[in-house]
Amino acid sequence: MYGRLVDLLVDRFEVDRAEIGPDTTFEDLDMDSLFLVELLLVIHSDFGVSVSDDAASPGDTITQVADLIERLASAEAPA
Amino acid sequence: MTTPGSPSAHIVVTGLGLVTSAGIGAEATWKGVCAGLSPAARNPQLAGLPVDISCTVPGFSAREHVGRRSSLAHDRFSQLCITAAREAVADAGLDPRAWDGARVGVVVGCGLGGVATWETQHRRMLEKGPEAVSALLIPMLVPNMAAGHLAMDLHARGPNLVTATACASGATAIGTALQLLRDGSCDVVVAGGAEAGVSPLMVTGFAQMGALSRRLDEPSAASRPFDADRDGFVIGEGSGMLVLERAADAQARRARVRARIAGYGASADAYHMTAPDPEGTGVLQALRTALSGAGVMPEEVDHVNAHGTSTPLNDAAEGKVLRKLLGEGVAVTSTKGVTGHTLGAAGAIEAALTVLTVENGTIPPTANLERQDPEIELDIVAGPPRERKVEVAVSNSFGFGGQNAVLVITAA
Repeated sequence: MYGRLVDLLVDRFEVDRAEIGPDTTFEDLDMDSLFLVELLLVIHSDFGVSVSDDAASPGDTITQVADLIERLASAEAPA
Repeated sequence: MTTPGSPSAHIVVTGLGLVTSAGIGAEATWKGVCAGLSPAARNPQLAGLPVDISCTVPGFSAREHVGRRSSLAHDRFSQLCITAAREAVADAGLDPRAWDGARVGVVVGCGLGGVATWETQHRRMLEKGPEAVSALLIPMLVPNMAAGHLAMDLHARGPNLVTATACASGATAIGTALQLLRDGSCDVVVAGGAEAGVSPLMVTGFAQMGALSRRLDEPSAASRPFDADRDGFVIGEGSGMLVLERAADAQARRARVRARIAGYGASADAYHMTAPDPEGTGVLQALRTALSGAGVMPEEVDHVNAHGTSTPLNDAAEGKVLRKLLGEGVAVTSTKGVTGHTLGAAGAIEAALTVLTVENGTIPPTANLERQDPEIELDIVAGPPRERKVEVAVSNSFGFGGQNAVLVITAA
């Protein structure tokens, strides 16, 4: 999921791949709360995973949000 | 601080920035406008529509000119505005990190707002459902956001507003700035206009009104103000921004004064939604107010940067009013032959070009003027630019809705 999230940031949010590491926060990438809402909308439409906008914040790292998506995805997946 | 609150304080232009289809930057735009060649071309984004020609800003990269954040989160009209405003502030020799932001105002004229974003997101909603609509739609769309972004970008915490008088918006913004400086509300105002309305729906809307030129097979000849064969305007996009200050303040900080905004007249036709009043009563009133505010007589006007849209009705009505008030000796030009009609940005782009005209003693030509409409009995500058001392110039702007804004710009 981490790799997919990085690809999404690079392809859709014009982030340089070199800027992103596991501990990079969204704030580090100049992404504020409104950007994060936008990111979560894109994640919903591209990955089919609903992340509520109070579950993530701009201070979170890419790894934290990737893990969150992973957890939600497996919880939503049909048993 | 000097002479705040003086209703007659002299207001000067100390900086300007331009982003137009003639180029990015005041210098590139001025060069392009003086060359008198229209960059209008068929636009692939408008392919298949009744009118598919436009004047777009060449080589504008949002990421390069305004940065990654802005390239994603701002509509193009805001991006063009930020680019022009940064140029204007740097040109004025001002540093936003050093100024007292509470005394800096921002006034941006805008006729449409983020219409391309609106269209894209509307299409997404219809095709993919409401969940596909961007969270950034509203902040990108609202027309006041260009001014809001300038406040953040320039640390300008004074009065911050947007004027919407359609195609006069940019001139109304500069007139409003004049008042904010004269009444002492601000020490510096960054004022101008921005528009990026070259979108399929907007262009088609103007086409359906019959406002646009249909010279589709010859786009570079389509915008031809005051020509006998004109048949409508060519839509353009861009931004023009000026830094305005009271003359005494500019002098105190030894700023380069480029020209003076000496008068402003605003009026309404109260006649028709879109057609100009053929008698030109409203325009005449705005001209007279602007001239008397500047303390100049009509016969003292050397040059007019006309609204000159290249529509049959506008140019005929404007020509008649100019002839009536100013006589046949005044040298008239319409720079829309090159820039196209940039709607809410036009008044500001043309005010900036008029400043350059006064400063350089060079009147740019009206592009594509091959055979002047015999009904328009005026000295329209055509061919090469005309070298001539210009002490007093007028810049006209008229909007759908009958709103008129006239600026008098004089030598520093």
